[in-house]
Amino acid sequence: MCSIRKEMKRNECGLLLLVLACGVLSLGNIASAQIYLPAAPPEQPSEYGKVILDCYSSTGGPGAVVFDHWLHRSKFTCRLCHVDIGFAMQAKATGITADTNRKGFHCGACHDGKKSFDGKIIFASCSDAANGEQCTRCHSLGRKDVRKYEYKSYTEKFPKGIYGVDWQAAERAGVIQPADFLEGLSVKKARLQSREDFSVKAHYSWVSDITFSHKKHSVWNGCEVCHPDIFPTTKKGTIRYSMYLNIQGRYCGACHGKVAFPLNNCQSCHPLGPAWATQNRPTPARSE
Amino acid sequence: MPLQTGTTLSAAFMSKAEIIAILLFIGLAGLCGVRAIGESNLPAAQAAPAQEAWQKEFDQVCSKTQDAMTFSPKELTVLIQRCDALLPQIEKLDDTRKKVYMGRLRMCRGLYAYVLDSKRNEKK
Repeated sequence: MCSIRKEMKRNECGLLLLVLACGVLSLGNIASAQIYLPAAPPEQPSEYGKVILDCYSSTGGPGAVVFDHWLHRSKFTCRLCHVDIGFAMQAKATGITADTNRKGFHCGACHDGKKSFDGKIIFASCSDAANGEQCTRCHSLGRKDVRKYEYKSYTEKFPKGIYGVDWQAAERAGVIQPADFLEGLSVKKARLQSREDFSVKAHYSWVSDITFSHKKHSVWNGCEVCHPDIFPTTKKGTIRYSMYLNIQGRYCGACHGKVAFPLNNCQSCHPLGPAWATQNRPTPARSE
Repeated sequence: MPLQTGTTLSAAFMSKAEIIAILLFIGLAGLCGVRAIGESNLPAAQAAPAQEAWQKEFDQVCSKTQDAMTFSPKELTVLIQRCDALLPQIEKLDDTRKKVYMGRLRMCRGLYAYVLDSKRNEKK
């Protein structure tokens, strides 16, 4: 009798342990599943792609620099700045100083007080002749009403998407014509021969496959922004692309989720909806 | 006559002073010029004359990235070798120029190597 009770108790303990283990495992799964969801971008699109440059500025200098991608990408391609001028895509890897700017590198490659854009002289960065007002145009962190351009008024006539400006549509419509050449720095090149679009298979049935457009991407990036640094593999199928890796800032996430449209804008990459819902539907032609 | 002699002497003295002044001026101007060149704040493109051999070679080699896919493996190999030959010359530049151009050269060479690799894989 006693041994039966003991066994029953043992079984109860085992069951309790099993329930506990299942609970811990399912909690772990929920937690890891949440990691795969891209974080929402800032509420204000003007904050998206904002970079604070503060290697030296706030330690005895004029304060940290606020760099707005939305302003600069309306005038220049990503390639011009990240290849020709040499702005690294990782934080604190460029080595910008007032001195390098004065010597005509980094910001000073354009902001030299001589070059012009749209008929306006581009103000000199970190110039000895600059007064306080000029410094705060860039060194503006925590300062109000010192920026010359405001997102809302500046992008008023730009086509809008789900989240802020639809840069692709703006470029297609000729509303913006981003420059890809800087005299004295860029190398004159032949027109890019666009590569064919290709399809990336989705791993899940609730999203459609991706049709990757080389044409759309090469307008902004040329070839060398993406290859080989961001997309190094040359053998198809060697990398299993995933949202997890994108969210970690790899592959598509090197730009999307930071400057290019946010990762939670699912339909921009997976345009056809769930695969099960589109199985018998002919693939629509994608607009270029 | 003595007055004449005095005038001649005075004229001779003046010319010596003028010569010294001119020499001093030239010397000072020369010194300032050297200083101005040494501390040039000209934009990178102006400070570094376009005639520099390495830059010409860099421009030639890296101007072909847009057409990388059209090159044969042999042509790509030559371009990669030309990139490698540029490296020691770029390493001699001052810190900022070196950083900028090393980065550009790395990207340019990387792309040619990437395309070469993909062409080799296509053949397999």
